[in-house]
Amino acid sequence: MGLSLPTVAHGEPSFLTSKLDFLVNWARMNSLWPMPFGTACCAIEMMATAASKYDQARFGMERMSFSPRQADVLICAGRVAYKMAPVLRKIWDQMPQPKWSISMGACASSGGVFDAYSMVQGIDTIIPVDIYVPGCPPRPEGLLYGLLLLQEKIRGESLANPALRAEDPARTGKPNLGPEVIEEVAGPFGNSTKQNRVSGLVSTTALTRPNDRKP
Amino acid sequence: MAERTFEEGVAGLERGSGGPPLDDGAPRGEAADAASHPSVAAMRERFGAGILHHAVMAGDEHVVYVGPAVVVEVLAWLKDDAAQRYDFLADLTAVDYGGGRPLEVVYQLWSIEHKRALRLKVPLPLDALVIDSVTSLWHAADWLEREVFDLFGIHFRGHPDLRRILMPENYAEGHPLRKDFPLRGRFSRAEQTRRALATPAEEFYTPEELRIGDDETVRPPSPVVIEHAAPPNRVDAPTTRVPGGPTQTEDWSLGTEGSAAGGAPGPSGVKE
Repeated sequence: MGLSLPTVAHGEPSFLTSKLDFLVNWARMNSLWPMPFGTACCAIEMMATAASKYDQARFGMERMSFSPRQADVLICAGRVAYKMAPVLRKIWDQMPQPKWSISMGACASSGGVFDAYSMVQGIDTIIPVDIYVPGCPPRPEGLLYGLLLLQEKIRGESLANPALRAEDPARTGKPNLGPEVIEEVAGPFGNSTKQNRVSGLVSTTALTRPNDRKP
Repeated sequence: MAERTFEEGVAGLERGSGGPPLDDGAPRGEAADAASHPSVAAMRERFGAGILHHAVMAGDEHVVYVGPAVVVEVLAWLKDDAAQRYDFLADLTAVDYGGGRPLEVVYQLWSIEHKRALRLKVPLPLDALVIDSVTSLWHAADWLEREVFDLFGIHFRGHPDLRRILMPENYAEGHPLRKDFPLRGRFSRAEQTRRALATPAEEFYTPEELRIGDDETVRPPSPVVIEHAAPPNRVDAPTTRVPGGPTQTEDWSLGTEGSAAGGAPGPSGVKE
């Protein structure tokens, strides 16, 4: 945001910004439009999530946005081959801020069983990821839970933190992680056990992630 | 069921002795010979020494081994001769049995008219992975031969557009379905990621598709610089992953397990 908002002290939001945060986050989290990036069987479950029985429109994901320019959250459902990696990165770069991403399923999160020459070992090596949904494939409840977790994450964001939505144009089309980190997370069983490190969290247990779960 | 060793399990596979007896009266398994398939007998009569070997696999799959020099001649005859008429190329693929054995190109034929199947195999020694293209007979062979070239490194002489079809155009790690190809590829993951994201978007489209929206102005597509050189900063040396495989990095593109020369030289005049 280009606004210079009044703050009481460093890192401490004022009455005005906290109320503005509440309003903006309320609007953002309840009108998330997903950009489906379905490459495999996870996409079937994603379609089921959008269909009538589970109906993600209940939570504000009113429609799947098949255009990255009009999307807020990228749902990468399925395995991503190295040949597909520049496409995924380009779609992510085309999405305007504010944007979030969900890595759905074992293959998107860690490469899954495809520890092979052709497969990206976790899309967080390509794009930043906000929510990892485990499962092979996850049930629609799993994806819905991921979307609800994302809503709670958005609720904790603040406009007073410009770094949150900052984007470096020089990073366009570049890997999301450095070479050493990619090597580390892409080892055998790497990305499935190293995601705490990637996301900067100490633990993935929901109870010990206070920033993700604000009442 | 008693445990069988691997050798016992595959022992009867070539003869087809393990299959259940069928009731059409035709000789099966060990009893089957060239005479039980009319096309095999006719091929032996016509081409003589050009037919290397005949085997019956899995009960009633007749496999004819042909030398690479006569393959187009044999296939053209099988396709056009009135008594054969194998007009449908069901599949064209290749097999690498490893251990320095020759790669085998497989042609699976089906005669719609006579309702007969026939499989041709062409063994190719590792130091001469070149075979004539059959795109002049079946247009369906176009992409199948590109796939075999992409994944096995077998060059097809006379193919109209021999380039990679599944792997990216700038893929420089070799041919992934070879037995000597390491499971996770030859480059490090970081290098694979870097190369993947360095692929220009133009490579995913044909020049015709890129011109969409340019209305009247038909401009030539911008030249795409494809990086083919192997980068030096790989993490895993090939010698640690490929025991007995090629040790020279320049041999990757055509190297195969167990070959004495450590890889085959690329045939001249073939578009890489």
